[in-house]
Amino acid sequence: MTRRRGLDICLLVFLILSSGCGLISKTTLKPGSPDDLPGCYAIFPAEPWVSVHRLEATIGGGSSSLLGVTKGEPSERRLQSLLLSPEGFILFDAERRENGIAVRKAVAPFDSPAFARGLMEDVTLIFLSPQGVPVIWGRETDGTMFCNWEGHNDSRTEIKGSMDSGWRILSRDKYGEVIKEVVLNGPFVNGLASRVELRAFKPATYRIRITLLQAFP
Amino acid sequence: MKRFFFLSVLITVGLFSAEITSAQDLTSLKEAFRNIRSVKAEFLQNRSLQILTKPLFSEGKLFFYTPDSLRWEYLSPLRSVMLRKGNTIQIYNFSDGVWKPEIAHAVESRQMVLAEISHWFQGRFAESKAFKHLYSPGPPERIILLSGEGINRFINRIEIVLSVRPGVIDRVEIEEPGGSRTSIEFKNVEINSGFSSEVFEKP
Repeated sequence: MTRRRGLDICLLVFLILSSGCGLISKTTLKPGSPDDLPGCYAIFPAEPWVSVHRLEATIGGGSSSLLGVTKGEPSERRLQSLLLSPEGFILFDAERRENGIAVRKAVAPFDSPAFARGLMEDVTLIFLSPQGVPVIWGRETDGTMFCNWEGHNDSRTEIKGSMDSGWRILSRDKYGEVIKEVVLNGPFVNGLASRVELRAFKPATYRIRITLLQAFP
Repeated sequence: MKRFFFLSVLITVGLFSAEITSAQDLTSLKEAFRNIRSVKAEFLQNRSLQILTKPLFSEGKLFFYTPDSLRWEYLSPLRSVMLRKGNTIQIYNFSDGVWKPEIAHAVESRQMVLAEISHWFQGRFAESKAFKHLYSPGPPERIILLSGEGINRFINRIEIVLSVRPGVIDRVEIEEPGGSRTSIEFKNVEINSGFSSEVFEKP
């Protein structure tokens, strides 16, 4: 009984200490200098663009190769995204605007609302900076930039990296679990990373390797 | 009004004469295709989309053996191959240094494309379930495929431009609703040259 109480106390102490550590780590991450803030947006195109990417998706045991065409207007937070088969047929064409998603064309199996929503979320995560100003940002001693945004429903977006080592975007749900991870590697052409890899963990698991083929202003 | 009427008459006469010549010329066209057992060629695909200021180029090669074996392979910018042998369709994508099978539902949606292409190389334009065909004597001789109900959501028409070499296709033009176009030009076309049947079985 005494031993059990001892264990409980140890556990309580551990919980207090670990929660204390969490608080300490949160409070020690002070906002960086205003000069660092533009670095939080460096991996997203600032001007309107049109790009063509090679997409290699791995879903379950299968794979799919497609061409992706994206047109973006960052100032309007507007995106148009097309998926083309290797033969060039348009399989999916949708536009993201402030008030939602407008699907212009969707061929099976790309014709479900869930697919349209998921794809436009992925495209937004890769190409548009999170809305608003990060709650925390700064630069580590080795020059690595970090920026954390808070979103709707306690979701979070974290960006970390440098132009030399590459960048990582993490999208977390309200429980702090990573639901999507994007790794971006340069060189950057017209503000677009040459190589991108997106991994989705929740609700569906898939991986998309994205290679920039063409970028136009 | 008079000018419009004149133009209408011209178009009607033109279409009518195209249809009149279609019966006899299609017969000689079928004769030309009848001698073809196999086709090997390279192709350059030019995709124009309204969203793009410059067209998108793809390169590839094809192998065809009558009546229904086809290998349609893209070398760039995506490396992908569609294999048809009889009723068996396989699609593979080259990724991470190996050929990986395409996920099943995408295979089904492309089955029709392969069947159509197989018909073209044999001059069996009348056998298409998705398109009605018209013959235009040219020069150059052309087969115009008009899309039927359902498929017209994706393709308006296809124009097959024939070479002066009997039974050889020079170019295919595909028009989609909304103004997008695809042009496929064939080059280094070899007719009835020998190649292994493995090209239709393995990526």
